[in-house]
Amino acid sequence: MGEFKGTPATGDLTVALSNDELHILINLVEQLLELLGERNFIHHYQSDDPFAQLMAAQLMSMEPLSAPEDPVLNRLLPNAYADPDAADEFRKFTEPRLRQIKQQHLLYLREQLVFPVDHELPKADIAISDAQQWLLALNDLRLALAVRLEVSVDTFEKFELMPDSEPKKSLLAVYFWLGGIQEKLLDHL
Amino acid sequence: MSTEIEELSELDLSKFFDRPWVCIVWDDPVNLQSYVTYVFIKLFGFSKEKANKLMMQVHTEGKAVVSAGSREAMENDVQRLHEHGLWATLQREDHG
Repeated sequence: MGEFKGTPATGDLTVALSNDELHILINLVEQLLELLGERNFIHHYQSDDPFAQLMAAQLMSMEPLSAPEDPVLNRLLPNAYADPDAADEFRKFTEPRLRQIKQQHLLYLREQLVFPVDHELPKADIAISDAQQWLLALNDLRLALAVRLEVSVDTFEKFELMPDSEPKKSLLAVYFWLGGIQEKLLDHL
Repeated sequence: MSTEIEELSELDLSKFFDRPWVCIVWDDPVNLQSYVTYVFIKLFGFSKEKANKLMMQVHTEGKAVVSAGSREAMENDVQRLHEHGLWATLQREDHG
């Protein structure tokens, strides 16, 4: 499973995923969406609604935004400057948009994954309508998992030596499986 | 050749001008090499050879300068790299 066929250029890119794989992916996507949504002023940020625009104007006059405390968010929304003051000032203007973009990719991926689950299909050949959003969402999922699992350069060696009874092993297996999916997707772009 | 001229030719003029800004990508243990190369080609229009060389520089040296220019342009590059999950920062070009 996790095999891709076709290309975006010919408009026939698909991925085959088992029901278990779909559930694992949906679960990861939803956890990350929840984490990204904590500062939930984002959806007011760009709107035609005058009230929302007023809110956005107030947001722009807010104090500089400090880096998120959660290490996953800190990795997905990193500082742009080494200097903390410059980083916070830049973050004030850019973080809401960056969060929104990452949320959009994940919501799109979720939409692609839930259809076969909702229809109780045993496995799915998902027609990928936007390969770039898949690619970026998969990458953010891997980054998030890697932070939680404290992935480093020698993690794969450790993983191979880990006994199956180790609780972390199944999550690391998901992490490496995601890497394989991303690599295969890149081969089709 | 007089020593004065020699001294002048060694003078670093850059300190009298604003140094340009650079965008730096830092190494991390997560992003796939093939993905980093792909993103460099997509965002900066590099040849596959140049993108691969820069990716290897990030991997082996821990970081690489991927673009240089105005502060606004570098902020834009950093933002686009963050969208793609690469760890990027901007700073004044470092002559030291």
